[in-house]
Amino acid sequence: MDSSAATQQLFDLWKRQIEEGTKAWARMIGEVPGAAAVDPTAFWRPLMDQGITAWSRMLSQGPASPELLTQWKQFLDQWIEAWSKALGQAMGTEAFAQALGKYLDQWLATQGPARKAGEQAMESILQSLGLPSRAQVTDVARQLVELEERVERLEDGIAALLKRADGK
Amino acid sequence: MGQERFADIVERFTHGSEAIPVSPEVSKRWQEEIERARLRMKNFARMMADPVEPKTGQTPRQEIYKKNKSRLYRYESARTYRTPVLFVPNLGISRPYIFDLLPGASFIEHMTRQGFDFYLLDWGVFGPEDNGLTLEDCVTRILPRMASKTLESSGASELTVLGYCMGAPLSACFVATHPEIAVRNFVNMAGPIDFAKVGLFGVWLDKRFFNVDRFVDVLGAVPADMVRAGFKLLKPTMDLSTNLNLWWNLWNDRYVEGFSALNKWANEYVAFPAEFFRQWVGDFYQQNKLYRGELRMGGRPVHLSRITCPVFVVGAKEDYIAPPESVKALLGAVGSGDKEYVELPGGHISLIAGRGAAVHCWPRVSRWLAPRS
Repeated sequence: MDSSAATQQLFDLWKRQIEEGTKAWARMIGEVPGAAAVDPTAFWRPLMDQGITAWSRMLSQGPASPELLTQWKQFLDQWIEAWSKALGQAMGTEAFAQALGKYLDQWLATQGPARKAGEQAMESILQSLGLPSRAQVTDVARQLVELEERVERLEDGIAALLKRADGK
Repeated sequence: MGQERFADIVERFTHGSEAIPVSPEVSKRWQEEIERARLRMKNFARMMADPVEPKTGQTPRQEIYKKNKSRLYRYESARTYRTPVLFVPNLGISRPYIFDLLPGASFIEHMTRQGFDFYLLDWGVFGPEDNGLTLEDCVTRILPRMASKTLESSGASELTVLGYCMGAPLSACFVATHPEIAVRNFVNMAGPIDFAKVGLFGVWLDKRFFNVDRFVDVLGAVPADMVRAGFKLLKPTMDLSTNLNLWWNLWNDRYVEGFSALNKWANEYVAFPAEFFRQWVGDFYQQNKLYRGELRMGGRPVHLSRITCPVFVVGAKEDYIAPPESVKALLGAVGSGDKEYVELPGGHISLIAGRGAAVHCWPRVSRWLAPRS
């Protein structure tokens, strides 16, 4: 089979796959509550079906060449890049940002009390074992950082005084 | 599928077609391909069974100064140029050994071989005790000290400040507000300046959708896993293409070595201190205060127009973290007469690390700096 015709065939299939996949993605993004659920395999099935069909056609028309592997790699690279662009466009919308923000808000609403409860439980366990709590260790570390800062300021002061003394 | 069974395709693939003879050229290519497949299996088995820890950061260096978690390193070099270079990378997100990944694939190695007295500020990995550290502290307390120590250690009276990614806007704030420290050159590599043009992160972190105060108040420090999730979401197909390319090049030992080092770095995320993140997102992403000239640090207004030294700005064409237009904005904002912008092929990371960087980026930076150092 002529290599350029095979490549063209692959790209035609690729374009069709992208169109179908993008439609499926768009349907999922714009899914309304109560509507029939979108099949997530709709993203991958067209690629698998059409890719295998393309290979089948090419292999039936001549001996297999390793160039097919290179073409297949290029095809996958372009497919991933096209998907990346499609996803980038979908995720760059305000609708997506709003949905992401809502998801984060909900996550924080559960995360906050859960973290607090976890910390309190851990603190009481450590206290009963006679060990310092995380907050106490953090406080000591913070004091060390502040101490280091004070020493530095003192060093700066001494350096400035010495400089002035040298200048006189 | 309907048309044909997969088994039929495999059958024909393994037996070929009797009608058309296989040419010696095709036969040779198949032999090569089979050898590659063998090497792929060998390397794959080695990666799984006996993974070798990549030796990153091999350029000899000395710790000059430390302040809390931050370190200042000086790299060994011939020191041909008088003006030392202080390299300021991003705080949080990732570790700075990407800039000295492997011998022959290291920005730092390139700069030291060119004869620059090179200093790296490693911000370090911050813990919960650093949650009070603000971006303002970094600009007004850490950066001036690191710059002074650089000058002290090198014996020079002026220095070049080279900021990469987030390190560039931080450095820009520092240079603009500290005229007492003589900055001879300022280089911005892939550092966003106009946050109205920062792409997906700009949309997601918009104050209408993302409440940074609530986020920080609940979580404290932004955990490394959260940082990872944010960056993975930015390019969801990245892992797929990375693994596909690994499989394709798995026969090549050099590729595997580079991949292992880069993969180690790419999976080592670093948390943000709480107050730093609040200010970074609030003032920079949500209010674009730096570019608008509304930022104040240490009681001083931050006006980019006060940067008057020579400025070199490098943007990457396919950068989706700091899109080139957000980086290029520095050029119009500074007060320098000697200023230049270049847009190079590659993305945010490949601008500074990897084979493309060694060809396109590093020589451009060193060539621009050499006559000005």
